[in-house]
Amino acid sequence: MSSATPNSRVSFASLSSNNLGTVRKLNSVLFPIKYSEKFYNDILNPDYEEFCKLVYYNDVPVGTICCRLETKGDQTHLYLMTMGILAPYRSRKLGSESLDLVLRAASSHHQPKIDKIYLHVQISNGDAKRFYERHGFQEVGIHEDYYKKIAPHDAWILEKAISAA
Amino acid sequence: MSRVLGIPPKRALPLKEASLFKEVLTMYEARQLKKGLKTADQILKKFPEHGETMCMKGLILTHMGRREEGIDLVKKGVRLDLTSHICWHVFGLIQKGEKNYEEALKSYIQALRFDKENLNILRDAAHLQTQLRLYDGLVETRHILLRLRPTVRQNWVSLAVAYHLSGNLLEAKKVLEQYERTLKNVPDYDTEHSETTMYHVRLLEELGEFTEALSLLDVSSKSRVIVDKTAIMEARARLLSKLKSDESEHAWRVLIDHNPDCTSYYHGYLASQGIDSDEASLAILRDISSQIPRANAPRRLALSFASGDRFKELAKPYLLSGFTKGIPSLFADIKLLYKDQAKLSQIQALLEEIRAENAPDSAAPSSSTFTSQPTTYLWILYFQAQHFSYLSQFRRALEILDEALKHTPTLPELYTCRARVLKRAGDLFGAARSVEEARLLDGQDRFLNTKSAKYRLRAGLVDEASALLGLFTKKDATSPGADLEDMQSLLYLIEEADAQNRSGKINLALKKYIAIQKVFDEVEDDQYDFHGYSMRKFTINIYLNLLAWEDRLRSHLAYVKAAISASRIFVAVHDDPSIAASLASSGQLTDAEKKAKKKAKKAAQKVQDDSKKGNSQQSSNEDKGLEPTAPKDDDVDGIKLLGCSDPLERAAKFLHPLTTLAPQNIEVWIAVYDVAIRRKKLLQAAKALKHACSIDVENPELHIRLVHVRRTASALPQEPPVPIGPLFKESLLELLPEEVSLETFNSQYLQRHPSSQQAILAAAKVSQMLQAPLQEVENTLFAALGPDAKLDLESSQAILSYLKSLGSQRAEEFRLTCDGKFDLSTVFKSPEEQALLVKQALSVVIGYPDEVEAEA
Repeated sequence: MSSATPNSRVSFASLSSNNLGTVRKLNSVLFPIKYSEKFYNDILNPDYEEFCKLVYYNDVPVGTICCRLETKGDQTHLYLMTMGILAPYRSRKLGSESLDLVLRAASSHHQPKIDKIYLHVQISNGDAKRFYERHGFQEVGIHEDYYKKIAPHDAWILEKAISAA
Repeated sequence: MSRVLGIPPKRALPLKEASLFKEVLTMYEARQLKKGLKTADQILKKFPEHGETMCMKGLILTHMGRREEGIDLVKKGVRLDLTSHICWHVFGLIQKGEKNYEEALKSYIQALRFDKENLNILRDAAHLQTQLRLYDGLVETRHILLRLRPTVRQNWVSLAVAYHLSGNLLEAKKVLEQYERTLKNVPDYDTEHSETTMYHVRLLEELGEFTEALSLLDVSSKSRVIVDKTAIMEARARLLSKLKSDESEHAWRVLIDHNPDCTSYYHGYLASQGIDSDEASLAILRDISSQIPRANAPRRLALSFASGDRFKELAKPYLLSGFTKGIPSLFADIKLLYKDQAKLSQIQALLEEIRAENAPDSAAPSSSTFTSQPTTYLWILYFQAQHFSYLSQFRRALEILDEALKHTPTLPELYTCRARVLKRAGDLFGAARSVEEARLLDGQDRFLNTKSAKYRLRAGLVDEASALLGLFTKKDATSPGADLEDMQSLLYLIEEADAQNRSGKINLALKKYIAIQKVFDEVEDDQYDFHGYSMRKFTINIYLNLLAWEDRLRSHLAYVKAAISASRIFVAVHDDPSIAASLASSGQLTDAEKKAKKKAKKAAQKVQDDSKKGNSQQSSNEDKGLEPTAPKDDDVDGIKLLGCSDPLERAAKFLHPLTTLAPQNIEVWIAVYDVAIRRKKLLQAAKALKHACSIDVENPELHIRLVHVRRTASALPQEPPVPIGPLFKESLLELLPEEVSLETFNSQYLQRHPSSQQAILAAAKVSQMLQAPLQEVENTLFAALGPDAKLDLESSQAILSYLKSLGSQRAEEFRLTCDGKFDLSTVFKSPEEQALLVKQALSVVIGYPDEVEAEA
């Protein structure tokens, strides 16, 4: 069986206060840092619904992707805050499908129009950087001392321009 | 309501008033209550002693919500005119509204004496007779109705049904045949005629006239009579089988093709071929499976027939397909096979094998090729954990669950499974904590919400459970519990009652047990409307099933449990009325309870205010019906209930249906005995013990009663009168021969059951009853922890609480020993330790072990 068997099924669900517990649980095992209550309030913002999803594999929640919109001058950026898939479910294109979903949503977003998507990757995480580069992201710089409590402290900044659909 | 001639003088009205009275009747029928009331008053102004008008006024007032006033008037009206069918009819309506069916029927019979052919009254009487299961009277009433209106189709069918219910199937058949002869030009696929015909087939089948039934079925299905195609096929296959016809095989096969996942069709199919060997069954099932590969039933059924290597061969793909599809209920399905020890072991071995083959690191995981999906492995672990939990290997089950949770921490089933394992092992707090973790993953899952609340109740956390239940109950209810009681949630009622009972708040427990009794009364009442509706709509077959189901209603486990537990409480307060008094004065309310009580009071006040408002608005035309609104509950905490003057009578009434509906349950008979012997119903008590003996003569609770009954008999102040006295004596001798002393009887019992903790507890209780010194009782009880004793959690708990109730100095020693012996269990922890566990169970936060704040 390959990851493309008809049995395997990837689906997405929007976030609500009811399934936030699942997001917390996933974050707690996926990421080495604890997210603030502000983070969890933000991802429930109805404006972000298209950009914050739970990822299901065979009806079991196995990952999340969460972004927020930022306004910089007359530009609107989509900031990819978190994306992660549980270890046993990796290498099955779940991350790619999740990212594609968000990218599609971004390009069909008109009010406001989204100019680019960007994110931070810890400089020890080469795998992640390559993953984003495969999806058309480019390194645009390094944010020094981005992580204060985990080492290494620096992070790459990766971004990709969004063209309207 | 038609009037009759030959009017007695005090009923006669002058022309004007007579026509006004007719108007009152029409206005009532049209529910023009306000107008009707005005018109009735007009008559009463001139003829204040006119009984019929007074009754009508009373009836209208009752409908308007002025119940007491209305009923008074009706009663007065009946007294003023005892020979009026209207007065009796009205009185009957009122009684029916109060669900007092016996009295209502009496009133209707009175009304019929004075107006023999009143269709309305006859129909109502028939419904009451059905409700009361007075089938001979029902046949009579239905006969009159048919004679009066032979052209109304439902009158024929109703008479047939009445005969059927009274057990006279032959007459029922005759009536149906006569009825069918009167039918002309029935359109194709007429649902009423279809139902009646299927009922006719059923009747013939019950009479054993299978050939006739089959030919009626075949003729009717060919002539476009019967609508329900599946029902035709099923009846056909069943009848052909009963006729041992060669065609039956084909009939069953047709059904299998129609629905290949209905197990009973396969049983019919196999039986129709006279197959009794497992080998042959398996061959047939394999054939069907290959023809209908999507069907699950034949593959599952094959597992029941197969054994040895063959079983293994079949079980493996069955399990694997379940794991791949991710069927959460797979274990519940497979568990039924575990009665066979060999199959259990085979499955256990298979699980190891399948797990190894699907483990993530079995083959080097390269990114391009996967042998199996990760969820498959997850469901294997889930199943395996349930397997070991079933075998009471709790540590093993927990290890597997830990592994599964490391793999995928977001599957709620893993947490609920973990909770069940912990619960079985006696860690109720850990269990509550684990299931709460599951609930937090998905707040809108009501199943998880209910589970979490239930586990809190099991751990004695009643208020905390209520808080959770409140997330899903109506917001304007006086309390979550009140809403769930309205919704007739037996699960909630029984769990809350048991929780209160365990914590010694028997008043609150009893209140909930009685609420369960009420739910069953309501369900019984609810069938009333169907006596009319089903005959009108010709839904005869399902109606007959409903009546049969209602007759067995109280065999429901919730009723059985509630009746037994409530009767124990009633017996306890009978034996020691001071319990009720001390609970009443102890003011045991916690803050949350006080709050709930205050809220309930406020809500009740509001209801009262609303009804007052209704009273003051006399102009309202709103029909409030004839059923009384629930009276305000002035005994929210059940203290009055507990202190009632007739606890034993209430217990006896609660238990009574079970003597016929649950006669194989030994606890029922023991409870019946406990109540009967205290009510001085000696023969009833002896009979209950005899029943119990016939079920399990060695039952520990029964052992205690056998001693109790002998002691009660010898302590009787005087010989009971003939014939009770001698009969009672005789049955006692049957239960326990007189030459054995009770001490010997007890020690022999203990010798027969040296390893059973329950038997040891029973023997100790008997010793105590026989005034053995405390030290001796204690020694007996400590044998329950001896090297030969078979430990079980519940019995050990019972022994501990019995030791405490005796004021034994060794209770603490017993607790500590148990705490050491029961791995994982927390029930034997000290109160301080338990308080800490409670805190942990309630403070579940999903998050990180180490606190690191994110920056962004």
